[in-house]
Amino acid sequence: MLVVSNIDLTTDLPIVKPSAFLESSAKDFTLNINNDYRYLKTGYYVSLHAEILGNSVIPSSENVIDANRTPILLLRAAKAGIPTLPYLVTDSVKKIVSNFSFPLVVFAVNPFIYEGFKIAKNVSALYRVVKSLGMNYKFAVCVQPLKGEMISFRSIFGKCEPDREAEKISQKVYETFKIPICKLHVQRVEGKTYLCGLQPLGKEELSQFELKEISEEISRISKQGECFSG
Amino acid sequence: MAKIACFVEKYNFSDPREEEALQNFKFTAENLSHKFTFLFRHDIPEIPKYDAVFIRATTDPLYTSYIVSKTAWEQGLKVVDDPQSIQICGNKIHLYALFKKHDVPRIPTVFLNKDQLHHKRLLDIFETFGKPVVVKAPYTSFSKYVEKVACETSFREVAKRFFKKSDVLAVQKFMPTAFDWRVGVLNKEVLYVCKYMIPKGRWKHGAKLRGKPTFIWGRTVALKKENAPATLKEVALKACSVIGKGLYGVDIKEVNGDYVVVEVNDNPSIYARYEDLRNKDLYEKIIAYLVN
Repeated sequence: MLVVSNIDLTTDLPIVKPSAFLESSAKDFTLNINNDYRYLKTGYYVSLHAEILGNSVIPSSENVIDANRTPILLLRAAKAGIPTLPYLVTDSVKKIVSNFSFPLVVFAVNPFIYEGFKIAKNVSALYRVVKSLGMNYKFAVCVQPLKGEMISFRSIFGKCEPDREAEKISQKVYETFKIPICKLHVQRVEGKTYLCGLQPLGKEELSQFELKEISEEISRISKQGECFSG
Repeated sequence: MAKIACFVEKYNFSDPREEEALQNFKFTAENLSHKFTFLFRHDIPEIPKYDAVFIRATTDPLYTSYIVSKTAWEQGLKVVDDPQSIQICGNKIHLYALFKKHDVPRIPTVFLNKDQLHHKRLLDIFETFGKPVVVKAPYTSFSKYVEKVACETSFREVAKRFFKKSDVLAVQKFMPTAFDWRVGVLNKEVLYVCKYMIPKGRWKHGAKLRGKPTFIWGRTVALKKENAPATLKEVALKACSVIGKGLYGVDIKEVNGDYVVVEVNDNPSIYARYEDLRNKDLYEKIIAYLVN
């Protein structure tokens, strides 16, 4: 197993730096560990390079693209049985208002904004949010009804802190998209948890405990020979 | 009777020739008793109501068009351009890596990642390819984000600009020609052939006027696909075979009698009286592919 990582880990296994891997033609199962798997970033290119070499890789380049595009994340998650709320991709405030009642949670769907979400509680706030996240109406946004409380947490190989409910969804998202490290945004409505979005993590956001957890998980995968199906 | 949605953005109607081509698609589909509706960004939730989606807005994995393509694909609709074609053609690194793997005749290309932007590596590149070289951002389209550099300083300046968005770039040998061949391919068959002429004193089909925001384009010279060189068509089909079965525009340079692929584009431009001039049946063939 090849472990390619941009994060300093404490595992006994040899770790290859992404830049070295991109120059290599090593053929083996590839585990791509990165804090940022966004499209066009190194995390994406490592998975792509592994695929071109014919290696099985976690995560796949397709999953990297899809998981970071909120409407596709929600569409594929719903297909995989992960609880999601209805969503709308549009740049039309009228369309949003005729489909959903306030408050609403809005994610950007454009090449430039990838962090966070905004909440709109009324029409004028919605106009402002659609304008800013749509970059002056140049791009669409992804809107979901806000029926409960938004919770954000870090997911490490599908494991997370908050509670059992969050862990269940985190595990399912990992099984579907195989993104080892990410931030998940969920909504808690009357005790039930719904997936809302996935985003990259900053390296500095990872705690010592989480770094240890990543190292342990890599060792576990290496020993058990997890089925590689990025 | 099938219901076809054609995903467009406002800019698709800004050039009269492109608008005419879009109307030709609509007219052809309706003549064949199909419904053909222009679908704009605010209509995306309507996708499941259609049988097929034809994307004419510019594609890229980061654009709305990818959301449209993948949504249609996941719901089992026929879609041109399909998500995989957008993933491959929308990223030239992905494209050239596949060309290399499958030995497609291509312009000599190397990749450069952020850590490699140093003196020795740049010297190596200039030594291998000579001067100037072409630096290409993976997300290039319509001749944008492709620049010619002849010294280390301008190489660094261009590379730093392109590295803001992508962590890997492509660097290619500079191969000037009077025109690029453009071969339109659909479902592993040649659909049309034309020559994209390079404007005088320039080196690519679309070039920015110095100091002005306007773009100038070279002429498009269409020819009957039957009259195009057989080897040209073979090379174009080979390049498309590593991508998929969709609609592609293959750019090919003819150098000393050899054909080398510059790139394969999904979502190729189709303008009335340009690409369709000698191959009028392209509208019918694309509609037939969408509904079959």
